[in-house]
Amino acid sequence: MKCDSCDNKATVFYTQVTEGKLKKFTLCESCAHQKGITDPNSLLMAGEAFKPSSGSGESSGFVSSDRSNSGCCDTCGFTLGDLKKVGRLGCPDCYGAFAPEIGRRLSSMHKGESHVGHVPSGLVHQIELDESFKKKELELEKAIFDERYEDAAKLRDELERLKAEREVGK
Amino acid sequence: MMRFATLMKHPADWMTSGDSETSVVLTSRVRLARNLAGASYPGWARKNERKEVLSKVQAVVKDLPGMQNGFLCELSDLESLQKQVLVERHLISREQAARNEGSAAVINRKQSLSLMINEEDHLRIQAIQPSLNLEKAYRLAHQVDQELEKKLCFAFDAKWGYLTACPTNLGTGMRASAMLHLPGLVLNEQIGQVLKGVGKLGLAVRGLYGEGTESLGNLYQISNQSTLGESEQDILRHLTKVIGDISRYEQQARQRLLKNEPVMLKDRVGRAAGILTHAQIISSKEALNHLSMLRLGADLEIFSTSLQEVCDRLFMGTQPAHLQWAAEKKLEPEARDILRAQMIRDQLHSILPPAIDISE
Repeated sequence: MKCDSCDNKATVFYTQVTEGKLKKFTLCESCAHQKGITDPNSLLMAGEAFKPSSGSGESSGFVSSDRSNSGCCDTCGFTLGDLKKVGRLGCPDCYGAFAPEIGRRLSSMHKGESHVGHVPSGLVHQIELDESFKKKELELEKAIFDERYEDAAKLRDELERLKAEREVGK
Repeated sequence: MMRFATLMKHPADWMTSGDSETSVVLTSRVRLARNLAGASYPGWARKNERKEVLSKVQAVVKDLPGMQNGFLCELSDLESLQKQVLVERHLISREQAARNEGSAAVINRKQSLSLMINEEDHLRIQAIQPSLNLEKAYRLAHQVDQELEKKLCFAFDAKWGYLTACPTNLGTGMRASAMLHLPGLVLNEQIGQVLKGVGKLGLAVRGLYGEGTESLGNLYQISNQSTLGESEQDILRHLTKVIGDISRYEQQARQRLLKNEPVMLKDRVGRAAGILTHAQIISSKEALNHLSMLRLGADLEIFSTSLQEVCDRLFMGTQPAHLQWAAEKKLEPEARDILRAQMIRDQLHSILPPAIDISE
């Protein structure tokens, strides 16, 4: 297969997700290097590198079909490509790994975008703890912003306690 | 644990009610999809991972109060004919029938509860009830769910609910459905309009054996499609209301036919009775369609109302796998068609004896 930018043999394959659509790039090593996508640290910049040539608007990040990269679920190794092929997932943790992709698909399948209904009895307490933790975190931020340091200290103690309780439950 | 032959000896509880309650809505079914946190879904898991999930779930399921003296079997230990019988009874899915090692079915004595282990999801809990009673079917499945969640850690997310193998089941993981017999709306040619309306309400309509099957015998399955964003109770209430409405339309259509087109109606019912009581060779499809007309005739008291129960038994008993199970051997389609015709004649004999006995 030839490189998208020159006539050399392509060795780098990338899949870009832009506004919910997949775009595939096939590049030789030097063109890939030039565009900064062989350096894992500049991965997020790669979208910018393609902007002029692809002209397809904002990029929301890069996903490689290589299992060792961020395009696959850490728990089970299922890839975004697999999801597109079979429409099912590899394991429950895939929902976290492919959250944006799945989130986009849900509106055409369901009436809502978040769960309403039965919660497993063992998790009710855990979910309540998570929610009050998030709420207190916001309150703490606001207290610091308002320079109410006494309140902030109290909230910090409460957060510590909630954190400990959450760990016990896990 | 029960043997397969024992399980099959008795018809399911929900198959034999045969009263006016079931004249339109035959059965109500609810199934819940559940998965174990941290384990790959059956379609992606390796064989040893599937076996691990199976033994974990099986150990807990065995102790369920409703499952003692039930039937528990790995799919790999069932012959293909046995699997097919379970599919025809709606106790396992076609998808599960295609599976072997690492997948198991657990069924209670009354056949009102079945658990599929390692189907598309790690666990599917299904409850079946006669007539329109989705609430009760849900209660039964929910009880099992509550027992199991004490001992198994189900994959659940605060925002997305139960994390299922396919995002189409995400949230409640609940699919509720009812099986409807709608010959009146078909004869009236109103069926297309009604089904279109059902689709617009976000519900799915399918044939006798679920996804991708054609409607035979004027039997239709109606189920919810959305599982995320509505509570179980709201889904059940909405579905019950729509099915109740369709049921009333069907009753009205039947009465209108009887009033406005009695000759046409009696002709259809009479022809069906003639064929079923005299045919020597009959396919499953032809049998279902004539049985549907006979069942309609029973409901409108053109024939004895006791025929309804006989028709319901034959709907199931004349399916290919049930027929071969009863014959205790594998049969070619031609032999099945002969046996089916004979079984129908025998069953109808006491209520509708043939005018001419040509079978000797």
